[in-house]
Amino acid sequence: MSTTTGSEGQALAGAAAAPGRRIDLGRLAAYAFLILIAIAYIGPLLMLVLTAFKTLPEFTKDATSLPASFSLDNFFEAWDKANFPQYLLNTAIYTVASTVIFVVSAVFLAIAIARRFVRGGGTLFTLFLIALFLPAALIPQFQLILALGLYNNPIGYIMLFLVNPIAIVILVNYMRTIPIELDEAAAIEGCGYLRYVLTIVLPLSSPAIATVAVLHAIGVWNELVLATIYLTSADFYPITRGLIVFNGVYGNNWPVLAAAVLMITLPMAVFFVLAQRWIIGGVTAGAVKG
Amino acid sequence: MAYHFGGGRSRAAPYAFLVPALFLYVLVSLGPSLATAVYSFTDATGLPNQPINWIGLENYREFLTLGAAAQENWATLFRTFIFCVAVTVIQFSLGLLVAVLLNQKLRGTKFFRTLIFLPVILGVTIQGLIWTLFLYPLGGPMDNLLGLFGVQSEFLGGQPMEAFAWVIVVQIWSNLGMTMVIFLAGLATIPNEVYEAARIDGASRWQVFREVTWPLLTPAVNTNLVLTIVGSLQAWQLFLVLTGYRPGTQVMGYLVYATGFGATSGGTSASLRQGYAAAASIVLFAVVLVIGLTVQYLLRRREARLLG
Amino acid sequence: MRKSFVVAAAVAMLVAACGGGATTAPSVAPDATQPGGGAAVSGEVRVLIHQNPPLVTFMEEFNKKFEAANPGVTVDMAVVNAADLTTSVQTRLMANDVDIVIPTLTGFSGQVQPYMKNVLAPAWQQLIDAGLLLDITDQAFVKNYGPVAIVDAVTYMGKVYGVPAGSVVYSGIYYNKDLLAANNVALPTTWAELEAACTTLKAANIPCMTAGGKDGWPVFVGAYGLAGAAFPAQAALVEGLWTGSTKWTDSSMASLFEKYQTYSGEMMEDGASGIAGDAAPGRFASGQVAMFPGGSWYAAAIEAAEPAFEWGYVPFPGSDTAADNKYMFGKYDMVYSVAAKGPNKDGALAWLSAFSDPANYQAFVDAVQFIPTQPGATLNAKIGTEIAPYLENFKIGFEQYWVAPKGAGTFAGGPILNNMFKPFGTFDDPQAAATQAQSDLDAGLQAE
Repeated sequence: MSTTTGSEGQALAGAAAAPGRRIDLGRLAAYAFLILIAIAYIGPLLMLVLTAFKTLPEFTKDATSLPASFSLDNFFEAWDKANFPQYLLNTAIYTVASTVIFVVSAVFLAIAIARRFVRGGGTLFTLFLIALFLPAALIPQFQLILALGLYNNPIGYIMLFLVNPIAIVILVNYMRTIPIELDEAAAIEGCGYLRYVLTIVLPLSSPAIATVAVLHAIGVWNELVLATIYLTSADFYPITRGLIVFNGVYGNNWPVLAAAVLMITLPMAVFFVLAQRWIIGGVTAGAVKG
Repeated sequence: MAYHFGGGRSRAAPYAFLVPALFLYVLVSLGPSLATAVYSFTDATGLPNQPINWIGLENYREFLTLGAAAQENWATLFRTFIFCVAVTVIQFSLGLLVAVLLNQKLRGTKFFRTLIFLPVILGVTIQGLIWTLFLYPLGGPMDNLLGLFGVQSEFLGGQPMEAFAWVIVVQIWSNLGMTMVIFLAGLATIPNEVYEAARIDGASRWQVFREVTWPLLTPAVNTNLVLTIVGSLQAWQLFLVLTGYRPGTQVMGYLVYATGFGATSGGTSASLRQGYAAAASIVLFAVVLVIGLTVQYLLRRREARLLG
Repeated sequence: MRKSFVVAAAVAMLVAACGGGATTAPSVAPDATQPGGGAAVSGEVRVLIHQNPPLVTFMEEFNKKFEAANPGVTVDMAVVNAADLTTSVQTRLMANDVDIVIPTLTGFSGQVQPYMKNVLAPAWQQLIDAGLLLDITDQAFVKNYGPVAIVDAVTYMGKVYGVPAGSVVYSGIYYNKDLLAANNVALPTTWAELEAACTTLKAANIPCMTAGGKDGWPVFVGAYGLAGAAFPAQAALVEGLWTGSTKWTDSSMASLFEKYQTYSGEMMEDGASGIAGDAAPGRFASGQVAMFPGGSWYAAAIEAAEPAFEWGYVPFPGSDTAADNKYMFGKYDMVYSVAAKGPNKDGALAWLSAFSDPANYQAFVDAVQFIPTQPGATLNAKIGTEIAPYLENFKIGFEQYWVAPKGAGTFAGGPILNNMFKPFGTFDDPQAAATQAQSDLDAGLQAE
């Protein structure tokens, strides 16, 4: 018997034919509310998009009007001036490397805590929870990286992103919901710990892992301050550093900046759309045996 | 909990595999933070070749009790609580509602999900820019919209309370997507059969939610509560972008940052005071620690009660 | 398990604590450091500046010329956001990874005076005390700069630690020539005339003034002329406030507070509190507002927004006596210093020397439109012509002398350094504001 999850609406709609009126009103209300929220989101986001099509004088004159024409000039300018290809590649490397390494290490940590496979698991979790509360330790961290000889070094930079307490909290809480019977079942099948984690835990936690991966990737992708401090050779710059050419002291070139931002956001947005498949009850069919 | 994957040497496997994450945490996060704590008891400036003196609780005394500046620090602390409560309550409820609605088989859910999550992807600076444009007081979109209802607002340039309220709005708008996504992942763990069983028993939609969905959502609820509470206590970058350092609107996170980089009191060449800034950040940490651990403890107790 | 991470934590702490003193060479591309003085310069010169488009453009061209004149030298210039400049200067100096830095954007301001107790050294001084900035007192190119600028902007304890790149003025007010003429409003030269002008303009439905109120500081900086006209000796004012011989609540201060209130509440246009700092010049250049109090740095933005726009710049008439309104207050701006422990000191000195060469310096002034600190240079832009008549009366502003005592409240600097009055602040009563300012100041003066 397969288990499908998540579509409450399906079950409700399937099971109830009689009070049809009530459900229709409910659905109507749901749509109305969602559309209201959507407007609250489209409105401001539209500003960003419109700005990306304006020229700077247009924008300075009136920031909230419609652009005169929808030319792609700003996008081309952003691509050229901000050295997109190279910096985008750098950003991609930093993001992928740190996210993959981090997620793998985090899964092993989270499952051990969630299942209490290690003594002091609860304390460990509290420790990581505390990490969530910790103040940013910019200068000591800098002194550390400097002392390790990893200043102005991609490895040192990536290291900064291999810790993410938010992810641990999400993963641990989620993994607690994985049925314990699966552990026994796997052990009976002859799984060692490693196989267990890779074949049972990983797929079953995929919604949480996908969520964590997306959030982590976004954090690394958008980081500017740490990149400014730790990467001083232009070869290592991520794209956020490249955008500086559009900042001014008394005014930024918002239209081109907006175009650049839209281009930068695109990969992450695509990543999120793809990841939604896993976040919203993806690969769970056939997991429960017997 | 029972470990089924072998005894003897292989019992060490979980320990061994978690070492990388733990080691990195200690090195990159805990270590520097402990150093910050130590620095908070010194008069360090953050520059090398300078004598560093142990001054005990002097930084804390200054931050918490010295003159009118300390009183303002307390006011900032209080304001941070208000921010936290307002943001958490609204963001949590809205996030839950949206997630539940989007969990039904309505049309266009993927579109709504991506749309609402988009601000999270954009990052703080862009969120701030978007809303600075949107809240432009002289004929901007929100100004026109409110005008339709005969409401006037000075938005972010207005009196502190007003500007503060608008930052709360932007904070919620920006982070709702994250709350929603975590709830969606949690809702995904609830099997259809459970809903069907409840329906067959004749439960109304509200009853289904209260008796079935809500308890089973406990892990996601816990995650979201902790993240939103802690996140809103520490948040400050939106204030940086939307209002700047205005008296009457700052929150603790901003105060800590500004202390570290000298953007606080009058005077143009502020000093580098790593020790003092460290003390300010430890004060914030202490506040978040107490609240965060208390919340976590209460939630775990509730979870144990509900889910056994 | 527990024990091992306590050990690891201790190690991390030790490393972090000791790491600050270590001077480690960064692991970057090899740079050929030069032999001792006298030999030709070679290798890489690393320059760190903040994002300021005309400055960046100038520097890029200047660097090319410098490289062409000195084969064997490459200039590696990094640009950071102005907000991150202090941090970047600090971290890069600590890593001994940079040769030329901008340690301050306000000259060597905020020096601790003998009458100040319980205050800290400003950041640029801390850099000097930590031995991170090179003493260049004996360098030949220092003499290219005016002696007053050298003493006021870049000298500490009798030694010179940088070159002053220029100064700006901030106590003036821009005015729209056409709009004033069209409404028969003469250019105000006294406060009373300014009030009358605003009344006339408002009656004709023309906003009198605008400013970037959302960023806060453009409003009180714009009103600098108010304080300046009342207290031309700004350093003395600071001393008076510190020693208690002057108080914000003095009766001589009362009219100052009233003027700030009128300025904020009645002269500024509705909605100014929502205008972002970088949008304000555009608003003024659109021709809809008659006047725009602000600093000389806005001139370039105004001209870029609307090249054909007719504007002028005069001191903000803060006093009722025209003769008091002839001063321009401002500050020294960027300072360029050599890193004392940088990888290529000789290269850095050669770079700075080339920068200080009168021809190059003039090009710099033309690009960023600073008031020059070299006697031979002139500001050729329109703003230069406008300011020229007042340059003899250039004075450093209150802001550059003021240091707040520890424990002081926000308003210790009074309305000069804060927006106190509505709609930019929360006060409507000048007396209440004065009382608050004094109590905030006293809190600091009396704290131990």
